[in-house]
Amino acid sequence: MNSDLRKTIDNVLSDETDVRRATAPHQRDFPYDREEEARVTRREFCNFLGLTSAALFVGAAAFAGKAAFDARGSSEFPSLQIPNAETLAPGTSLNFRYPTRKDSAILIRTMDGALHAYGQKCTHLSCPVYFEQAHQRLECPCHDGAFDPRTGAVLYGPPPRPLDAIKLEIRGDNSVWAVGREASNEG
Amino acid sequence: MKVEAKRGIAGPPHNFAGKGRTAVAQARLILLVMVNVAQLWILAATVEAALAHRFSALLPLVIASAICFGVTLTLIYWWRPSSRRFTSTGYLKE
Repeated sequence: MNSDLRKTIDNVLSDETDVRRATAPHQRDFPYDREEEARVTRREFCNFLGLTSAALFVGAAAFAGKAAFDARGSSEFPSLQIPNAETLAPGTSLNFRYPTRKDSAILIRTMDGALHAYGQKCTHLSCPVYFEQAHQRLECPCHDGAFDPRTGAVLYGPPPRPLDAIKLEIRGDNSVWAVGREASNEG
Repeated sequence: MKVEAKRGIAGPPHNFAGKGRTAVAQARLILLVMVNVAQLWILAATVEAALAHRFSALLPLVIASAICFGVTLTLIYWWRPSSRRFTSTGYLKE
């Protein structure tokens, strides 16, 4: 009984043997030694480390370049009406897109009735922040950061600077318009 | 016979040169890994600096990463353990 069990375990575990047996007819035409293939020479490992180093350098340069390019972006923003903003109840929020269709933003009406809008990207690692009604603050679910809905300032957590503020304008017919965006520096 | 023993032909094999080469090769590998780890840290710092809009830190970080890459290249292409068969002056003679 014990030896049977042992044989069964060996059979299950020896997939190498099974593979060899199953592929026996093809071994002559397509010789393949798994152990040999899995072995990494010192030279190969050195080359791999060299490529990794190149990739890390290119990554750092590309990220820095993109950040610098984005910072130089145009300072002129379009005026865009935020639909249904005038009917927003105090202590609630509304998502919209500004200045482009790709940039999500959040509009908040605080309990005192004032409107505030921010870019929805957390300044830590760009996760989308959401308005937590129970605590009346903007929270980032990724790394537990929080922002003040009145100023966009960091309340706690890893974010290094306040949220990007979106300038609002209330026009004659009570409609709410987004008219600009202001990136804050490190707080 | 004495001369042969000195040359290591007749006596038991003492592969000091081989051990030395292995040590140099391992040290080279360890240095490469350390440089890679440093570059990984630099990349993380670059991402954080970019998201925090600390633009003045970006250029030094990229330069540091470039220096690390340069060090890696020198380690791979220049800092090799010397060959047993060749020296800077030519073939080793028996």
